[in-house]
Formats: sequence, C-alpha cells, structure tokens
Amino acid sequence: EAEEEEEKSTFDFKTYMVQKAQTVNQALDAAVSLKEPLKIHEAMRYSLLAGGKRVRPVLCIAACEVVGGHEAMAMPAACAVEMIHTMSLIHDDLPCMDNDDLRRGKPTNHKVYGEDVAVLAGDALLSFAFEHLTVSTVGVPPARIISAVGELAKSIGAEGLVAGQVVDIGSEGASDVGLERLEFIHVHKTAALLEGAVVLGAIIGGGTDDEVERLRKFARYIGLLFQVVDDILDVTKTSQELGKTAGKDLVADKTTYPKLLGLEKSREFAEKLNKDAQDQLSGFDPEKAAPLIALANYIAYRQN
Amino acid sequence: AASSSSASTRANSVQFDLKTYWTSLITQINQKLHEAIPVQYPPQIYEAMRYSVLAKGAKRAPPVMCIAACELFGGDRLAAFPTACALEMVHAASLIHDDLPCMDDSPSRRGQPSNHTVYGVDMAILAGDALFPLGFHHIVSHTPADLVPETQLLRVIAEIARSVGSTGMAAGQFLDLEGDTNAVGFIEEKKYGEMGECSAVCGGLLAGAEDDDIERLRRYGRAVGVLYAVVNDIVKEKTLKTEKGEERKQKEKNYVEIYGIEKAEEVAEELEAKAKEELDGFDKYGERVLPLYSFVDYAADRNFSVVDATSG
Repeated sequence: EAEEEEEKSTFDFKTYMVQKAQTVNQALDAAVSLKEPLKIHEAMRYSLLAGGKRVRPVLCIAACEVVGGHEAMAMPAACAVEMIHTMSLIHDDLPCMDNDDLRRGKPTNHKVYGEDVAVLAGDALLSFAFEHLTVSTVGVPPARIISAVGELAKSIGAEGLVAGQVVDIGSEGASDVGLERLEFIHVHKTAALLEGAVVLGAIIGGGTDDEVERLRKFARYIGLLFQVVDDILDVTKTSQELGKTAGKDLVADKTTYPKLLGLEKSREFAEKLNKDAQDQLSGFDPEKAAPLIALANYIAYRQN
Repeated sequence: AASSSSASTRANSVQFDLKTYWTSLITQINQKLHEAIPVQYPPQIYEAMRYSVLAKGAKRAPPVMCIAACELFGGDRLAAFPTACALEMVHAASLIHDDLPCMDDSPSRRGQPSNHTVYGVDMAILAGDALFPLGFHHIVSHTPADLVPETQLLRVIAEIARSVGSTGMAAGQFLDLEGDTNAVGFIEEKKYGEMGECSAVCGGLLAGAEDDDIERLRRYGRAVGVLYAVVNDIVKEKTLKTEKGEERKQKEKNYVEIYGIEKAEEVAEELEAKAKEELDGFDKYGERVLPLYSFVDYAADRNFSVVDATSG
C-alpha cells in the first residue's frame, strides 16, 4: 500500500519537476547571456546549463508557492541559488580541492577551460547570483529581497557551505571522524544551500516568521537526507549510473554514513530524516505542500 | 574650463589635510573589519580571511573613497561604514584569487606572503569564496535601517556584485591572463578603475544622491582608480631604472611596458584632468568635495604615505 502511494506521488512529481526544471533552465539561459569576454561567459554557461536536476531552484519555487507566493516572484532567487551551487561545484572539482575530471557526466569546468578560467567563472557566478537576486526580483517588497540577500550570503559563506568544505578537507584521511563531525560537514556542505533555497523562497513568497522557520527545519532534514543518500549511492552504484566517479569516497578514505553506521542503519537513518522533514509540513495546505513532500521523497528514493 | 569658484575649490584642496582624514578613517575601518570577522569554528578559514583583510599597511582607499563620497552629499558616515568594510572584503577576495598559482602566481602581496603561500591553495580559494558573501552579509546586517532606504541598499549590493563580476574585475583579470597587449587599457580600467568607480558610486547611493551625481561619481571614481594604477606603473618603472642590473618581471602588462613612460605620463595627466573636471560639477556641495579632490592629487603625486597607526 505504501509503495502504491509512493508511485502515485512520483508520477505527479515527474510532471511537476519536468515543467519546473524547464522553466528554470530557460530563466538561467536568459540570465547568463553570452557576452564579452566570451570565454568566461562560456565557462559560466557550460557548468550552469549542464542539465543538473535543479533540485534547489525547484525547492525555492515550491517554498515560495507553499506560503502563497507565485513562481515568477521566486525565479531570480531560484536561479541565484543554482548559480551558487554550480559555482561551488566548479571550485570543488579543482585539482587543489577534490580533483575531479567528471561532473554531471561531462568533463569538469577546469578540464575544458583551464584552472584560471574555472576559478574566475566560479567567482563570477557567485557575484552574479547576488546581482541577479537584487536586480531581477520584481513584485516583491525590497525588505524581503534584502532579507533574502542576507540568508543567501550566510548559507554559502564561512558559516555555511565553506565551513563544510573546510572541515571536509581537514578530515580527509583522518581515522577519528565521528558522527558529529560528519554531520557538521554535511549540514554545512549540503544542507546549508538547500536550506538557503527553501528559506529564500519562503521569505520572497511572503511567509510569516513561523512559516519560514518551519520550512527551514524541513530543509535541514532533507539536506542531511540528501547526503546520507549520496553516501549510500556512492557504495551501491556505478560511475555510469551516477554520472560522476563512484566509490570515490572509499578510495579517498572519506568517512561516510555507511562506513560509520553500516548500510542498513544508514537506510534507517534516511527514513527517519524523511519523516522528520515531512512532519514540518503538516501545518500547511496539503495541496500546496504536495510538491515539497514529493521532493523529500525524491531525495530519499533517488537512484543517482 | 573651470569656473572661478571651482578654481578656488581646487586651490583649497591643496590645503585639505587628506592624510589626517584618511588615517583617522583607516583606524576606524580596521577596527570594524577586525570585529566583522571573529574567529569561529573552523578557525583555519577565519584566520585565512583575516590574514588578507587585516593585512598590515593596507591603505583602505576603496572604503575611504566610499565614505568621502557619502559625506559629499551630507550622508552620515555611519551609513557608509558597513559598505566600506564590504568593499575591502570583496577586494581582498579578488586579490587572494588573483595571486593563486593558476592565475598570477604571486608569492607575495603588500610585502607579505600571499594567502595561498601561508594557508595553501585550497584554503585560499575558500577564503575568497567566503569573503564575497561576507561582504554582502555585512552590508545587510550592519547598515542602519533608519539612515539608508531599502531600495538604495539593494542598488549598493547590485553595484558591488556587478563590479567584481564577469564584466568587471573578473573580466579584467581574465584578459590580463590572456596576455592580450592590445587590451592593456581595458584591463587597467577593469582591474583598477572598477574598484574606484564602485567605491565612489556606493558612497553616493548610500547618501541618496541623484542619478546625475551618481553618474558623475562613476566617471570620477573610474578615472582615479586607473590614474592610481598608471602612476604605480610609472613609479615602478622609475625605481627599476635606478636599480641597475635588476631583472624585470615580464608577466605584468601595464601602460609603461606597452606604450613607454612618456605616453604613460600623458595618460596620467589626462586622467587627472578628467577626474578634476568631474569634480567641478560638485562645486555646489562646497568644502565637502575637498577630500575627493585630494584623492586625485594623492593618486597623481603620492605626496605622503598612508600608514595605519594602530596596526604597527
């Protein structure tokens, strides 16, 4: 019975995702146009339009809609979040960081454009995210946009994304990485930007403080969930299935949930996080909350 | 041609004590920057960020120009401090990334080892990545709401983001790396003019200046930024000439190397004249324009050294 219900929501979700991702892709394409100097804009577009799943922007839009806002209000914020996500992947893949050759099934940015351009393309996406959010958001009171700028900045800086990266780098090869540090890494490296995406949408959509905080909690749970599932997939899937190098965590001797908890306990943990996340949505209009519930299930049950 | 009143304003700029104005602001800016980046967990990243932002001997020209531009229109300097600090943060972020081995490969900056030399390339990239958003966060969390309308604050954020972005400073750095000698003018405009332009414009925006005045600040700030860079090139060349036998580093492309010292001096004179001509349009603001005149003189002549009294 549970399986049947899941399939039903997965079906609705697919249409929703395809439609939203398409709108997001069009908005991203229009936002970062090809201009001089060409190479740097090509590099920005190469990674930004590489066809990611657009989970973050869709979360942003869904959070805006669940509090009563409209898609168009949140689109610049949704694009900004995806620009930041792309930027962090470009820098993360650099030889001095994770040294990855493959991303979303394509050669990484620095493999195509060189390290110097990859650093600059990342920096340019970072700053453009803020420019786009502030300049292109229309029909939203300025106070909400300012609040969104603050949230976005916090989620990606030294208190957010970067903190996760730093502790991750410092933990490589370390044998004493416990659950607490692993959670710190993921809460910052992955969950912070997912939280940013959801909170930005909720703020821009005009959510009350209470609504924003409940959605923030929802985002934190699914952020951690995202990483637990990622760790599970890394040991159970091939590179081809993932579109990136599989088993890399094992090779790099990284601490993962399956390594600390075992595969079965990791799956149980994922289940619990999904439930905790969805509990946060109970106070919202069920029809409007459906996309967020489906997104949580998608993150929990995705295969790549 | 300058009117008689602007001629007298110009003459007064000689008397204006920029050094005192500047050094007293540096002390306050350094204090605020120090508070803006407390060391938290994980400490390495905060230490790397602080290392570059709080580097000894930093002249703080962008923040001081921002504050001077704000005060020109009667704005409160308390309205400008958070943006002034943010300018230093994003500027430091750009410089940290410019110095990386895959970019300019500079082992030192302002007479100290560059960020990646001390903290490693990975940490240097992340320190830059964290300083950009910290700048934006600092503006929205610290600017007094009663002094700056929200719409103005949004324009400030957009202005800074545009300046450091793919058509601004990042474009300059990219073309510099390409080594296109025909683009040297464009490169200096982007690498140095953008910061001057952005600093002046942000100050004006924070004070609620009219659009005409903002555009004037834009042209002024850009001219001063490029002037400063060109004069730097000239001074460097002259110093090298006196130190015979010194091997000159070839990777830097600048006006002097491409066009020779005479042409560079001509360009500097034109920029100085242009910057002052723009300021003539601000005569109605009386003596408050004096700091902006004296910036031009300083950029052209380096008639004193700016040292932070507190960092020594």
